[in-house]
Amino acid sequence: MSYFLTQVLNGLSFGLVLSLIAAGFAIVFTSTGVLNFAHGSVVLAGAYLVAVTQPTIGFWPAVLVGILGAALIGVLINALLVRNLADPNPGTAAILMLGVDILLLTELTRRIGNRVLPLGAPWGADVVRFGGISLPTGRVLAAVLAVVVFAGLWFMFSRTRVGIGMRAAAADGPTASLMGIRLSRTGATGWALAGVLAALAGIFLTSFPSPGVVPSVALSAFLAIPAWVLGGFDSVPGAVLGGLVIGLVTALTVGYERELHFLGAGFGEVVPYLVMIIVLLVRPQGLLGSKEAVRV
Amino acid sequence: MSDLSRRIAGLVLLGAALALPLALEDFWLQLGLFVMATMVGAVGLTLLVGVAGQLSLGHAAFAAIGAYVYVWATSEATPTLAGAGLPAVAGLVLAVAMAALIGLLFSPVASRLRGIYLGLATLGLVFVVRHLLLNLDDWTGGFTGRSVEPFTIAGFSFSNRDPDYLAVAGVEFEGLHRLWYLFLVLTLLACWLGANLRTSRTGRAWANVRDSETAAAAMGIAVARHKASAFVVSSGYAGLAGAMLALAYGRLAPDVFTLLVSVDFLVMIVIGGLGSIGGAMVGALFVTALPLVLTQYSDVLPFLAAPGSGGLDPATLSRMLYGLAIIAVLVFLRGGLAGAFRRLRGGNAPTAASGAPDDTGGTPPTPPTDPDHPVGAQPVSSKETAR
Amino acid sequence: MRKTRPALAAAAACLFAVTACSTTEPEAAGGGDSGDIETGSGVTDDTITIGVLTDLSGPFAAGAAVQVTQFQAFWDQVNADGGVCDRDVELQVQDHAYDPQKAVSLYRSMSSDIIALQQVLGGPTSAAVLPLADQDSMYAGGVGWASTALGYESNQLPGASYSIQGANAVDYLVDELGVAEGSSIGVVYFAGDYGADVLAGAQHAAEERGVEIIPQEITPATTDLSAQASALVQDGASAVILGAAPGQLASLAGVLASQGADIPIVGMNPTFNPALLDTPVADALLADTYSILSVAPYASDEPGVRAANELYEAADPDGAIGWEVPLASGQAQLLRTALEGACEAGDLTPEGVVAAMREGADVDTEGLFPDGLDYSTVGESPTRTVYVTKVSDTAEAGLELLETYEGPSAQSYTFG
Repeated sequence: MSYFLTQVLNGLSFGLVLSLIAAGFAIVFTSTGVLNFAHGSVVLAGAYLVAVTQPTIGFWPAVLVGILGAALIGVLINALLVRNLADPNPGTAAILMLGVDILLLTELTRRIGNRVLPLGAPWGADVVRFGGISLPTGRVLAAVLAVVVFAGLWFMFSRTRVGIGMRAAAADGPTASLMGIRLSRTGATGWALAGVLAALAGIFLTSFPSPGVVPSVALSAFLAIPAWVLGGFDSVPGAVLGGLVIGLVTALTVGYERELHFLGAGFGEVVPYLVMIIVLLVRPQGLLGSKEAVRV
Repeated sequence: MSDLSRRIAGLVLLGAALALPLALEDFWLQLGLFVMATMVGAVGLTLLVGVAGQLSLGHAAFAAIGAYVYVWATSEATPTLAGAGLPAVAGLVLAVAMAALIGLLFSPVASRLRGIYLGLATLGLVFVVRHLLLNLDDWTGGFTGRSVEPFTIAGFSFSNRDPDYLAVAGVEFEGLHRLWYLFLVLTLLACWLGANLRTSRTGRAWANVRDSETAAAAMGIAVARHKASAFVVSSGYAGLAGAMLALAYGRLAPDVFTLLVSVDFLVMIVIGGLGSIGGAMVGALFVTALPLVLTQYSDVLPFLAAPGSGGLDPATLSRMLYGLAIIAVLVFLRGGLAGAFRRLRGGNAPTAASGAPDDTGGTPPTPPTDPDHPVGAQPVSSKETAR
Repeated sequence: MRKTRPALAAAAACLFAVTACSTTEPEAAGGGDSGDIETGSGVTDDTITIGVLTDLSGPFAAGAAVQVTQFQAFWDQVNADGGVCDRDVELQVQDHAYDPQKAVSLYRSMSSDIIALQQVLGGPTSAAVLPLADQDSMYAGGVGWASTALGYESNQLPGASYSIQGANAVDYLVDELGVAEGSSIGVVYFAGDYGADVLAGAQHAAEERGVEIIPQEITPATTDLSAQASALVQDGASAVILGAAPGQLASLAGVLASQGADIPIVGMNPTFNPALLDTPVADALLADTYSILSVAPYASDEPGVRAANELYEAADPDGAIGWEVPLASGQAQLLRTALEGACEAGDLTPEGVVAAMREGADVDTEGLFPDGLDYSTVGESPTRTVYVTKVSDTAEAGLELLETYEGPSAQSYTFG
């Protein structure tokens, strides 16, 4: 039983980290209509900034640098490139982000090289134990932080002018614009927010139980895509739910790999995508997506 | 450009494509094979994305299905690997048919989703197919894959054997040369079909569905069926492209068909100009050839560090130039490369192509990283085979 | 597109009218004679060109760069000592960025200019290039240690295959590290030829030694092994064999330690990187982590290794050190032996190099590889001996050599 619980908690805490990334996808998509293929590189960039600045300025200031840096990268991508697209539409924007991803990832890979950059997080390799279950402290912190962040986002989107403006802009851009909401500002806010979430996810993805900053961290953003999609493209709560589902399903598939061996070796790697396809077949708009996002 | 000059330009390009194997080295021949195979895939994808308006990130999955079906169909069975031992042409047909069939099976999803939603759902296909390729090792050879039998028609083999020696105008025609012509025929056929399909009843129905499903339905177009049919056709194209890639590699492994391949197909059609057959072909040339050529020739650039010295080495630079080229095309060229070409052609006589100012106003000139895109009737070293 | 049909017909007509087709081969094409030595592609009167197809901008860029530096340093020294067959050896380095399509194209571009391939790095890339090289009878070294490469006559494996590494790992655990008969050993491995080969070797050894294997497949994208580690602890694994990369080793060691599972971890040749000792899991790694190497570790005292390290330190004083340094020297030494053999046989062609390599039944590398490498049988691992090393913060490059080792199951493992 404690084994089952361990795997469940592992899955849920990792799922919350995925949710941070998935929410970034959702926020960028709703505020500017861009499928952000460069999100993984932004996650890596945030973690990289923390890792290279923490030896000189200490961990917590470095976290601030990482968060601000990732947010700045997002804002710059939006202001310099997305807003200047020759044919602004979701297809060209997605490919544009691929170009950005190639640039960012190549440069970061070159800088990181063969090294495994330690993040210097104060929780090191500590573990929290309770009732026969042990969880890495980093994961527990990630889960707590994610809950706080999502509560903050909920507050922002439902109670503040900026958040409501963003929702209005997402629901109907031209009308929102007519009503005095500046789309350039809501777009920039969305990209900045996504950058902040990406940097936070990057910190937890590269601290224990992961070894440190390595280029393959950028790949984990791909795992967040099923989470985002199955939650519903335009929904931040959906992204949270999607992350939890994907984290849980993956952890249990891996944890019970021996019992599931008839499904083929490495089934845990495809199960997120299978879940995504099945959910889309039953509910094309995703678990919590708004109906009008899909016109059938 | 007048119809006559179009024909002349087309003929010159075709003649160049026919003559090139006489002059090219192996590197360029191999590159040409990859370019033609990806052209076929890109044309299929532009029919789906550009014409019918449905995004797909699963193109590599269908290419993988085509490739593996082709190899299974044409190989003799061995104790460890299944094979049907069919003639090569039958294998090719089967590859296309099977990819299209799987596309049909997936089309309930395709007809329910649109645009970016479908794109992300199909992303899952790449991973599912990869899992199957790795685990069904009686058919696929698992991770290490299986080798591809040479293409053979009536005893003539498109390889280095049978006949062992064949020379045309004094140039020895080895497997690469022979495959070049096979690929040329397949590519021309696929593009010709694609262009006709685009202007046919079906193609116009697809475009109507893309522009407005409601309006299309009001005009009596069966929306779901047309969305599904676009998906099936595009899958068939991917299947053919996959079989061609199998022939070009000579060996198949699941790693040939990663998500990156799907993404590359999308890059091709978007920078080429969505919905344009010629654009898809130029895009395929751009995406497939540019990184390879940059890698091959970047050591000519003087300011770079030697490979492995830790500085900005040629490979890193070529990767960055590739990323920059994608960004530059999307930011500066409306309608992608095809759009830029149309504007260039619209305002100037076809011969006055060299750096002519753009008269459509406001569009900056083509970025310097843009490789030989078809300007006027100058084939230069372009291996573009048909338009 | 309307114009295609007449155009096709016209072109076909041209082809048949203008060109003279021929199917009879003229007198012996290619290959010149210089003096009494027959030469082929990549050889002139004063140079021999060898190719390196590596990954300088993809996932293995950093380790690959170390090897390229070392190759260059090695051959520079050979040239300074008079070269091979009175010729200077030149390297042609190309970067495939771990992309099989690039690798195939670049191979085509270099194959007519080189006599041998010093290295084809990477699983999917070498899988694509090896069949082509084999068709051309082109020597291909440095493709890693997967058994799948053994079936190619033109391939030279640098030491024991992954399956032999895996089998030895089980033997060593049972014989030296106190894993009892009847207990179980986890094998965490990458999907692919590397991981699958490790698993095959371990499974064979497990049957021989009466232990049970718990397989856990992962991919390189898996950097958090919490779920796998928990599953192994749950199943009562008394040791773990890891066929993966350094990132996975760090995560696995850290999680196992955090769960209080004090069991040995045995990594394969590519699993360790000294940079791991700067991460928070360093203590966990230092406790009970081993690495089975096919090439002598950097910290070895053998003359071949010392010479390789000196060469490297002179070539790149600030470069990262690791097992890549002796490996690159060892591979270059193997190719040098083959080239010299081909020269003595008077056949300095790609075929001649492969033939000379296959005649090597007792290659001496001054301790870079185990003694008595035997390449005379296609499909067999050249040796069954490996180096057992332990992670240590006092040894150079973080791995301390414990012993050269050849377990009974590694001896009884059969290929095929």
